[in-house]
Amino acid sequence: MQRPLCIAHLYPDLLNLYADKGNIQTLVSRCQWRGIDVEVVSVPAGTTPRLSDYDLVLLGGGSDREQALVGRTLLSSQPEWKAAVEDGLPLLAICGGYQLLGEYYQLPNKAKVPGLSLLDLITEAGEPRLIGNVAISSEECGMIIGFENHGGRTTHSHDVLGRVKKGFGNNGTDGGEGVRYKNVFGTYIHGPLLPKNPALADLVLKTALEHASGNTVELEPLDDRFETAARKAFLERRIQLPEESVPAAQA
Amino acid sequence: MVLPAIWLGKLLSILLRLAGRNATSLPGKMALRLSPKLLSVLGAKLDRCVVVTGTNGKTTTSSLLAGILNADEPIIHNREGANLPQGLTTAVLQHTTWFGTLRRKTALFEIDEATLPLVTRHLPVKVLVVTNVFRDQLDRYGELDTTVTKLLEGIRQTDAVLVVNGDDPLAKHIALHSGLRYRTYGLSTHHAEITHHDQMRDGAFCMQCGHELTYSGFFYGQLGLYHCPECGFSRTTPDFAGTYNGHTIAIDEDELPQVEFVLPSRGLYNVYNTLAAISAARLCGMNANGIAVGLAAYEAPLGRMQGFQTTPPSTLNLIKNPTGCDTVLQAILSEPGQKAVCIAINDLAADGKDVSWLWDAGFEQLTQSPDIRVCITTGLRAEDMALRLKYAGYPTDKILTAADLDAGLQLAFEQAESLGELDLYVLSTYTALYPTAAWLEKKVTLDAKTPLYRTSVS
Repeated sequence: MQRPLCIAHLYPDLLNLYADKGNIQTLVSRCQWRGIDVEVVSVPAGTTPRLSDYDLVLLGGGSDREQALVGRTLLSSQPEWKAAVEDGLPLLAICGGYQLLGEYYQLPNKAKVPGLSLLDLITEAGEPRLIGNVAISSEECGMIIGFENHGGRTTHSHDVLGRVKKGFGNNGTDGGEGVRYKNVFGTYIHGPLLPKNPALADLVLKTALEHASGNTVELEPLDDRFETAARKAFLERRIQLPEESVPAAQA
Repeated sequence: MVLPAIWLGKLLSILLRLAGRNATSLPGKMALRLSPKLLSVLGAKLDRCVVVTGTNGKTTTSSLLAGILNADEPIIHNREGANLPQGLTTAVLQHTTWFGTLRRKTALFEIDEATLPLVTRHLPVKVLVVTNVFRDQLDRYGELDTTVTKLLEGIRQTDAVLVVNGDDPLAKHIALHSGLRYRTYGLSTHHAEITHHDQMRDGAFCMQCGHELTYSGFFYGQLGLYHCPECGFSRTTPDFAGTYNGHTIAIDEDELPQVEFVLPSRGLYNVYNTLAAISAARLCGMNANGIAVGLAAYEAPLGRMQGFQTTPPSTLNLIKNPTGCDTVLQAILSEPGQKAVCIAINDLAADGKDVSWLWDAGFEQLTQSPDIRVCITTGLRAEDMALRLKYAGYPTDKILTAADLDAGLQLAFEQAESLGELDLYVLSTYTALYPTAAWLEKKVTLDAKTPLYRTSVS
């Protein structure tokens, strides 16, 4: 009586600035290629998410205005969110979604748009925007690569997703990129994030599957030749760095 | 008194041009504000007016027709798609003297469907083309929807001869209900396909009686060999029937001998546009020679279904954002026959360094079509594009990658040729477009020199 893995895509009508479709497609395909049943639930704006129904929540990025709208919707269910995250709900938050995990986003006029306060994290608008190709080194899944484009400078007291090898990361100064807390993954990296980072995609999937089943899950390896070729080309042409292997302990 | 309005309009045109601005609309707008009757006063001075309206293909059709009519006599033409009253007025003002007389007596206007009823009564419309009527949602109960109503309202204010796309049940319906004489154009029936690859619009319902139309063949969208089993409304043999064959279109008009023209632009949409322009030109009294000269003068904009007479033939398209890319993919898939596709993706500043948009574009269309035999990816982000195709579900053994643009194009032609002289469709981002066009031009020259031999394809 295995039910399908349930991925919730939050507010695709507002937060879909950087090809979240690509992230979802990657998760879905990598399940299907392994014969894992999966379903995606789109949660449109104005709907309260039913957190207990989901095995993985995807929170994408939007414009400042859209993000403020989402922030307001989410705020009403802040206690449920907090409890779910503490309880290990897998959550993948990108760009604007990442900023929403924190206490607030401070606009250039110093006004603070409140966030979900799930993490000890704040973001302040800054100049110039931090734009460009980015590569970070992660302990869990090697090099994570993509594109970043954000005005916000984020600081937090948790583990980072990775150390910046090229690009700006959370704030362009402390060398950290993204956040890792329990089963939360937060990052500014899109491009989109998951297709070209199959190790991260599988880590997110594994986390979701383990959360859903309560058991340890080992994912079957896939034929990642296209992914490997795309990573290699990007690292050579745009980052000028070699690939990093994933630490054996994680494999 | 219209003279002050004419002066104002002409003065504004001059000033805007001096300022380096495009004066296609504002002069007419201000002049109309001063004298709302201006268009009807100037319109009355025209000898004749030809109008092109419909949902798609207005600009291309009227540009083609302008080339043909201009070969006969200089005409007034609202270029650049300025198809609202102010755009028409601006165009006429350009050929009006400071004393209010017209230097040119024939006008060709592309007019927006909603604008049509506002202007036709002021113009001596002799020929009126309806290219097609596409809507998102057709009315299932045979009631006229707003677009059709507006078109009919505008058309009934004229005593023009209509030229309608007879393959489009909606355009045909408009012709039948106009009360005017009409001639139809359409494709030769053998171009129709039995199966329908496009997502069928929720729309093939008979406008006469509301019953669902049946089709014995499709061209694209709702265009096809339609027939209403309830009331007998149906597609009839077109008065101007087009048979296209690669780079040429042959026209059968009544009992006249067949005449062949070189297609100025590739793509099924453009076959229809050319057919519309030729039919309208015939009704304007142009002969085959004049039409051929006019068509030859037309140049397709760079990277818009731009055809190259390479061996095998190739077509170049610019892609730069998800919506534009989806339209290009649809246009390619609406072409008949099996195809090879080559996609060149660069990520330089002019392309956009962020290639996320590739994931918002609907490359899944390539997977869903049975006609795409191979996809070659090239450019600085060739491997990203290959990955995109993999996640679009396209078979990975049919995705080939060569990042170097020359190598990629070479590979694409080798594949297209070895799979049986398939037409090659090249999609390219901005910075790869010019080098690709140059490469294809060079190949056209080389292929022309090489003695043609073809392995037999069975």
